[in-house]
Amino acid sequence: MSDCQGLGDCDDARMQRIYEYLDGALTHQDISEIKDHLDSCPECLEQYDLECVIRVMVKRSCTEAAPENLKNSILDRIHSIRTVEA
Amino acid sequence: MDEPRILCGGTGSSLALLRNICLPDVVVKGRSREAEEGGDLTQVLDRVELEAGSGQPWTLALPVVPGARRKVTVHLKAMSTMDPAVAAMHEVAGNDATPTETPEAGTAAALETEVDGKPLDVSTESAEERRVRFERDAMQYVDQLYSAAMRMARNPSDAEDLVQEAYTKAFSAFHQYKPGTNLKAWLYRILTNTYINLYRKRQREPLQSNSDTIEDWQLARAESHTSSGLRSAEAEALDHLPDTDVKRALQSIPEEFRLAVYFADVEGFAYKEISDIMNTPIGTVMSRLHRGRKMLRDMLADYAAERGFRAATESSTAADSNKQENRK
Repeated sequence: MSDCQGLGDCDDARMQRIYEYLDGALTHQDISEIKDHLDSCPECLEQYDLECVIRVMVKRSCTEAAPENLKNSILDRIHSIRTVEA
Repeated sequence: MDEPRILCGGTGSSLALLRNICLPDVVVKGRSREAEEGGDLTQVLDRVELEAGSGQPWTLALPVVPGARRKVTVHLKAMSTMDPAVAAMHEVAGNDATPTETPEAGTAAALETEVDGKPLDVSTESAEERRVRFERDAMQYVDQLYSAAMRMARNPSDAEDLVQEAYTKAFSAFHQYKPGTNLKAWLYRILTNTYINLYRKRQREPLQSNSDTIEDWQLARAESHTSSGLRSAEAEALDHLPDTDVKRALQSIPEEFRLAVYFADVEGFAYKEISDIMNTPIGTVMSRLHRGRKMLRDMLADYAAERGFRAATESSTAADSNKQENRK
């Protein structure tokens, strides 16, 4: 709990490390450190888990198929542009 | 050659994507331009190494493992753009052959820079050839751009207009696109610019160009609500929220934060790519992500609470540990 030096004492610094870890933006050494830390700090591990859950949710919820006609509309538009240029 | 090498694309997200497509017993290591800006993209899984110096193409080096056969197929378009699960395959199989450089990888790496097996020369390309290339390479992202446009526009009709307009612009400017670079990020940049310059002007909404425009309550909330507010039981509660709540929560945070979160979490763009797409420094991207995620988390916690899950408060005392406590 209070013994959370691995990722910084304050919540902001700790979360920033978790975000960077999830974003794939850490150095090799940093990754080892954060992995070790997550193994030994239940509090950080919870935060990490929660972020993972939220990411999956956002990705799941926000992946939408375009309406059927959109692709055709775009192609029509592109073809008309070509005709004008030709 | 003892260590076959496969040249791959050159963006930060390439590494993240390669990491995703590799089996767990594969090592992916690499550096990108972001290393110069404080981030050194490195991920080690196990045995295959991806290494590249700053500004150099990625090299996937397969160490020789006696008695092991490896087949590695890396699709360049997947490296920089497409859903890795769909577009790329990586296979590592135990066998008695030594690793070899696979022809698939070379072919794939050249895909965007070739037309009908011939090297692409953009300067001599005819209009018709360019249109064919555009349809082949760019049209596959319509669904993804539409999803992003739905996070920008307020309704499906406007989102469609936005995507159509962005594609029209992209086609008109396609001669400026440099083959082999990240086409998806290029399209996203056009989409974002189209939204900012055209669509939002039409709406006559004030430009939300910096965080001064965030309402005070949102700021205060984002900063005071520490990450200790949610517990793993809450994570479970959040996971049961319907998609509509998630969309609503994302929609409710200011757009520069919303889009940064969307680009990172849904599309998996690297900080550098988001900074290019949104035309902001990397540091700004990181702070937008940080605060945007906190806001999103708070909103989701609120919705979970509204739906009867104990999620939003920080008073997780022993007496409150009964997480089934619903308020109806």
